[in-house]
Amino acid sequence: MPETVRIVLGRALDAYASLEELGEDVEDEWTYVTELAAAWRDRLAAVADERGEQSMDDAAASAIDRAIDEIARIEDPHRAIDWLSTFPQVVLFAIGVTP
Amino acid sequence: MRFQDAAPDARAIVYAGIQADPLVARSAALLADADHGQRLLARAVMNGETTDAVAWRATFPGLFGPAVDGATRQRSEAILAAALEVAERGDQARSQFRGAIVEALTASLLARRVPAAAIRRERRVLFDGVRAEIHPYDVTVEVADAAEAIDCKWGARGIGPDVLHQLDDARRHADDEEVALSVALVVFDARRSCDIRLARQTAPSAGIGLVTLETLDELAVGPAPALR
Repeated sequence: MPETVRIVLGRALDAYASLEELGEDVEDEWTYVTELAAAWRDRLAAVADERGEQSMDDAAASAIDRAIDEIARIEDPHRAIDWLSTFPQVVLFAIGVTP
Repeated sequence: MRFQDAAPDARAIVYAGIQADPLVARSAALLADADHGQRLLARAVMNGETTDAVAWRATFPGLFGPAVDGATRQRSEAILAAALEVAERGDQARSQFRGAIVEALTASLLARRVPAAAIRRERRVLFDGVRAEIHPYDVTVEVADAAEAIDCKWGARGIGPDVLHQLDDARRHADDEEVALSVALVVFDARRSCDIRLARQTAPSAGIGLVTLETLDELAVGPAPALR
């Protein structure tokens, strides 16, 4: 049975929280990291509110899980900051909504 | 106001080698004709950890899935291949390649509305009685009454006081001389991330055009609307 958008986005948000923690290691960028993550978290949460009960297409769910796997590999906090912007865009593209 | 080649220093000489790499021109040409999703693919892969093409195809079913038309898939494959080549150059080189690709992409899109000969790279803008900026602008459009000075960034994090001051200085000095000069920042990243970055800057951004991943094609139409 397909998962709902809310369940898959929940996994994405959990992974995103870990990425934010890694990005926060760059002390000079702490404020930017927290504000950037908050802005994208709000965007993802808004999509979950709008479309949360819809079934997620299997390919889209797999795409998001693949993106989660990608950010789980990151060890460099500077690259984590790049992905704090890139990851939500990839997730939203998989769902078919604009960033 | 006049334009001048920047005096090449050691960094510029090394970077010129990157700019001249055929991979930069190939990537820029592909991205100039790409849609938003394909540009996002390039951003993700060039930023990515894995260099496994199969994994990236799975990450972007909207570009590689069975419902995707042949032309879109073919272009997506070409972009994926170029982006993987960049990613495989290693951390230090890939960041130089990414910057050079954004600049070359900007020049390619500008060439759709102004003569290619008017588009120059790494140029300084000089004003009477004003000390020249040390750093050149990445891309300039040198057309009488419609000149442009553009700096390019791979990500929103590249937006900082130096680049904003440099663009603002050019804009103000051009105003003082009563000559037309549009200034803009091209960022290969989402508008949302750029807005967050800009909100924290104390350097002036009003009057500077902003082109982001979502609006790159507007470069081919006209100068970017200025921020307020």
